[in-house]
Parts: sequence; C-alpha cells; structure tokens
Amino acid sequence: MAVYKRRYESYGGALTKRWSRAFVLTRYATRDLFRSRFFTGFFILSLVPVLGFAGYIFVANNKLLHEVLSFRSSATLPVGEEFFAIFLEVQTSLAFLLTCWAAPTLVAGDLSNGALPLFLSRPLSRAEYVTGKFAVLAVLLSLMTWIPALILLLLQAGLGPDGWLKPHLWMIGPILWCSLIWIILLSLIALAASAWVKWRILAMASIFGVFLIPAGFGAVLNAILHTNWGNLLNISYMFQEIVWAGFHASYQGGEGAIPKSAAWAMLIAICLFCLHLLHTRLRAFEVVRG
Amino acid sequence: MAPTIELSGLEVQLGGRKILHGLTGAVHSRAIGLLGPNGAGKSTLINTLLGFHPPSGGTARVLGLDIRDAHTDLRSLVGYMPENDAFVSRMTGVHFVRYMAEISGLPPDLALERAHEAFVYVGLGEARYRKLGTYSLGMKQLAKLAQAIVHGPRLLILDEPTNGLDPPGRKRLIGLIREIRQASNTHLLLSSHLLHDVEQTCDEVLILRDGRIAGIINLEEERKSNRRFLEMEVMGSGAGFTSGLGTMGCECAAFGDSRLKVVLPAGVEIHDVYRLAAEQGVRIRKLNYRRDSLEDIFMNAMAQTGAGATNGRI
Repeated sequence: MAVYKRRYESYGGALTKRWSRAFVLTRYATRDLFRSRFFTGFFILSLVPVLGFAGYIFVANNKLLHEVLSFRSSATLPVGEEFFAIFLEVQTSLAFLLTCWAAPTLVAGDLSNGALPLFLSRPLSRAEYVTGKFAVLAVLLSLMTWIPALILLLLQAGLGPDGWLKPHLWMIGPILWCSLIWIILLSLIALAASAWVKWRILAMASIFGVFLIPAGFGAVLNAILHTNWGNLLNISYMFQEIVWAGFHASYQGGEGAIPKSAAWAMLIAICLFCLHLLHTRLRAFEVVRG
Repeated sequence: MAPTIELSGLEVQLGGRKILHGLTGAVHSRAIGLLGPNGAGKSTLINTLLGFHPPSGGTARVLGLDIRDAHTDLRSLVGYMPENDAFVSRMTGVHFVRYMAEISGLPPDLALERAHEAFVYVGLGEARYRKLGTYSLGMKQLAKLAQAIVHGPRLLILDEPTNGLDPPGRKRLIGLIREIRQASNTHLLLSSHLLHDVEQTCDEVLILRDGRIAGIINLEEERKSNRRFLEMEVMGSGAGFTSGLGTMGCECAAFGDSRLKVVLPAGVEIHDVYRLAAEQGVRIRKLNYRRDSLEDIFMNAMAQTGAGATNGRI
C-alpha cells in the first residue's frame, strides 16, 4: 500500500506485544490532554503546593533562617505524620479538580462519537480499554500525590537531623496506600460518571455531584437524626478519615467519626458499583430493552 | 477448503428478544455478501461474529476461529467498518488512523506510514491533516474504510459501507472494495440491503430474513447456470406455440391468454422463438429478455415462507 503505488497491500510486518496495546490508549489520551493549555496550566499549578511544602521543609530545618526570621520552633508544625497528612489532603483536593476536568475527555468523547466499536473490534477487551484510560489518571494523580510526597520525605531525610528517616520510614506505607486509594476511587468514579453521562460538560458536573450531593444529604441526615452515619455518604470525609488514621492522627476536618471498617466497606462498595457501571455502559453497541 | 464463516445453530438474544434463530450454514468464498431487509439481523450477526454480542446458543467459526473462545485472536485478523458514525472528532484523519493501527498492534513508526498510505489509497490524501469532525459524510465513510484496512486485516467486515453516499461516492467506494478484494488475499464480508453493491463485489451471498437464513447462494455458480427468461405478450392461437416451445426444451408458463414467461435452455436463442412464432402464426407484441439477477434470487428468498425459509440453499 505504498503511497506512490496507490494500491492495497496486506501487512505482514512485526506486531507489538499484546499487553502493551492498552497503553496506546494511555499515550494518545495523555498527549491529547496536554494539548489543552488550560489543562497543562492547571497541572503545573497543582504542583506549586509541592514547592511550598518543600520550602517549608527547607525553612524548618534551617537554624540560620530560624534565627533571622525569629521563628519559635514550638509554633511551627514539625515535619512528621501530620505534615504529610496535610500534604496529601491538599494534593488529593487538587487531584479531584484535575480529574473532574480530565476524565470526561477520556471516555465521554469516545462514547458520544460512537468510537467504541472501532476500539473493541480490535484485539482490545473492554477491561483493557478501561485499564488504558485508567492509567492516564493513575499517572497524572501519582505525579500529584505519592511521588512528590516521597520526594518530600527524602528531602526531609536529607535536610533533617541525623537518624530522622529510620523512625519515620513507616510513613512510606500510608503515603502510598492512601494515595492509591484516592487514585483508584477518584478514577473509577470519574470514568463511570463519564461513561454514564457521555456528554463532557454534564459528566464534569456529575463528578462534582457524586461528591457534593450525597455529602450534603448526609449532613442533613446527621442533623435531623442526630447521628454520624450520614458521613457514610460523604466520600471525601471517609477518605480523609482513613488518611489520618493511616498517619496515626485523628481527623480534624469534621465532627462525628464513623467506624473505619464502615468507611472502608463503603469505599469498596462505591468502587464495585463504578466497575459495574463501566461494565454495563462500555459496550460496542447499546442494547435497547423492551 | 475451510469455510470462511461457519454458523452452527447460532442464536442471539438481545433485550429479551431473540434476534437470530439458530443460524446454521457455511460460506466458503472470499467475498461474502450479507443481504436482507431492514431488521433481518445482518448487523446483529456481524456484531456477534466480532464478539460484541454473546451468542445465547450455538456458535460460529470465522476463518477457523470459534467466536466463543477465540474472539481476541479473531479480532486481530479483522478490519471493521461500522454502519454508524464512528471516529474521534477532535483528531486529524491521519492521527486517528494511526491510533487505530497502533491498537491493532503495528509499531508507531509503521502505523504512521500505513496511516498515510491508507489515507492516500482511499483518496483522502489531501484531507488527512483535517480534523475528522469537519469531514463530509462521504469522507467519513472513506476514513472509516481507511481505519479498517490500515493494519492489513485478513477479513474486512463492511457494514452498509455505501450508506448515505451520492452515486459517484458509492461507485468510488465499491471500486475500492473490489480492488482490495482483487489485490490481496483479504476476505470480505459486506452487509448491505443494496443488491447492486453486493452483486458487484461478492462471490457468495448469505440472505437473512427475520433472523433466519433464507438462502446461501454462490453467485459465481448462479452466474454460470444463469437462466435466461423471455417475457412475452402474444396475439393469436397460443396452444401450438407453447407446445412448440416445449418441444424445443423451454419451460413455459402462461398468464391469461396472451402473456407468457419462457425459460430458455442452453442452445435455444431468441431467433428460434421468432421462427416458431412465424410458423405458428403467432404475433409477438412485446418481448422482454433478461437474465436471472440477484434481485430475482433475493425476492425469491424473501417470498418463501414456512418450510421454504429453512437454513441452507434456496
């Protein structure tokens, strides 16, 4: 099928590995996202707090600066459990905003243009399609959460007092798993909402809605029934509670703790429901019942 | 020769309704036409062969691969051009086709090369850097064909490829399909309700009606054994004329006093009929000569009911 010959020829050349084909979707989707100046700008801005936290670590470990700026050590937050819990809280909030923008372009566009049959008629399963799109969010959110958190940890290990790292090494665990929980939860909710709604703007609104509307409803339930169980409808609350528990600190962001096991069960149930939605909606052709 | 598509009691149920009713049959040719009226189950059959709809009973084999347990391998061999609009509107044509080629397993550099070639081949070379959302309907059809052939599939499935095209566009697309068929060892499955398109591109036809196989016809054999018809209106005593035609070996059917339909056997030509008419004193007022076309075959298949509509040849 050479251009100059203008005739059809079959292809008999080399093929890429089967497992790598899902990540073709990741590559193209990531490139597509960064074509948007708004998205690129927002992504860069979302890394600014990392510089702020890094600056704080530098200041906190610099005695000369303390003296020059007349800092009182007791008035500053020590770089430890609480510091990293706050860092993750800030970055996961920014990750939420970034996901609201990015996720709908990943799936809703393909669905509204009817492109799914083209993807799924190739050696690519629905699970691989979701994996490919999920990987986009996973990479972006990792760059905003656990990767900078680990860099900050290493920075503190380098700038902090000798032997700081050894007693704080356990924090690598909560940094990783708290970030991963948020990445999985947020990505699945966002992809499921995009697959369900199909229209990009509406998908964006629905992701916000999934987090805000049940949370508001839960708050009303708490107020009327004088209970804390309404917090089970507040995804952010449950996540933050798990994060703070992971860092062995009590959550300061809200009142009325719920059992951790209930929060875990609810988050797992939400993930499973999202997977079910994706399984139902991401089909080459919709079947109309009746 | 192993069949290109072999259906073994294939049943498909969608939304609680049975769409395909135990299809059984085999088609062996390289270019297969899938014919049937709207709602006959053509697209459902294609989607089932591609693994989009799970069979509720029976199975099918495409190029020797079972659709139930080898659908991923099967999809590696298939290029699919869907009936409806299917593209990523924000991408340029060549970028989109390259994307599809890479998902099919082509390395990035070769995918780009093949994408350019496919675009030039289908005649969209000048428009390849335009966004797909700006393409006209005809261009979108050609872009869909480009993405279907970019990875050099062994089986090209085309679902209503000429839908919505103007006559020159249709002619061009049919020409490309014929060229692909002739220039490579690619098998072709073309679904259409346009008999002319199928007749021009296919060797064998699978006719569906109400989710059942109404017939499997080898067009090549049909062409070889093609029967020739005469439709006549005559004046004068017809009895001697019809018995004379019978003596010549013609099959003859009379409609009323003056209308005759005659099937000419090999060796009997029209001038023999004129000669017989002159001998019998019969005046031929109107004579229409034609061959058995796909339309006749199709209409015949559609007209059959009950037992006549079972799977197999008609």
